[in-house]
Amino acid sequence: MKLSLYRSTKPPSQVAHTEDLDVTPVMNMFIILIPFLVSMAVFTRMSIIEFSLPPNVGASMNRSSEKPKPKLTIRIGEDYLGIVLGEELLDSLTVENGVLPFEKLGRQIVLRKKELAYDGEVVIASKDHIAFKQVVAVMDLCRDAGLDKIGLSSATDSPDALP
Amino acid sequence: MSILPAGSHHASEGTFRPQLTSLVDVMTILLVFLIKSFSVEGDIVTPAEDLQLPVSTSEKPPRLRCSIVITKTAIMAEGEIVERLSDIADSDSLLVPPLYSYMKAQYVKTRSSSERPEVIIQCDRDVEYAYVKKVMYTCSKAGFSDFSVLVLQKE
Repeated sequence: MKLSLYRSTKPPSQVAHTEDLDVTPVMNMFIILIPFLVSMAVFTRMSIIEFSLPPNVGASMNRSSEKPKPKLTIRIGEDYLGIVLGEELLDSLTVENGVLPFEKLGRQIVLRKKELAYDGEVVIASKDHIAFKQVVAVMDLCRDAGLDKIGLSSATDSPDALP
Repeated sequence: MSILPAGSHHASEGTFRPQLTSLVDVMTILLVFLIKSFSVEGDIVTPAEDLQLPVSTSEKPPRLRCSIVITKTAIMAEGEIVERLSDIADSDSLLVPPLYSYMKAQYVKTRSSSERPEVIIQCDRDVEYAYVKKVMYTCSKAGFSDFSVLVLQKE
């Protein structure tokens, strides 16, 4: 068979025209598919963060006869962020110009968790005027450090009075 | 004088066909993007209007539970205002009586079913923690012990 049999005698522009694909059915399929997918698309995903009651409110408190272990507490205030174990203030990070030092806090939480080999519940104790997004940001830092059990409480002015 | 280009016999024959190739390209890109963001489950929880949820790295999917909404102005349940934040702003008490009544009724309803008594708090990102504390305290007094907070997943 000679290849010359397949050679077209028409100019290239005419050859392209005669072999043009009919994309109308593809377009019809797109027109049906796209509105369906748009209606099912999720552009913002939601999730939840679980947390427990403030320790002094829970009805399940004081059920155990064992001596309670000191809890790791993250204190959020307008003046400083603190990491407290039981009644001992381990770290104090000053808030400058209203910007909470979350990066430093994240590093310190990881460090203290390793040092203390702590994997119990972490209590986030916030002052009343702190915006809720800041509390969620600290929850994220705790979860990133591997502390998944989170309790929420309220902070007092003195770290000695923390739960 | 003809406005058609020389040698254009398609138009003169009246069989003009639009070039759909570029449109098909656009549609293909759009289709890929939409398939990527396609969700079979959909959203179980719909956040209230005028509510800006905080952003978090959490990836735990929401569950269908009793939901309390704290907007910048009010505490809401099932789309109805339970209490305005301005009314409880100066109160020293942590208990919010109208919310307590509502939550108590919800707790009784939950106990009669097999559901876990859990509250999902949808709170605006800029609301002060004092209000969240009051809602949590009131819910706990009504019998709820498990809490979750609804957040937007960080990309």
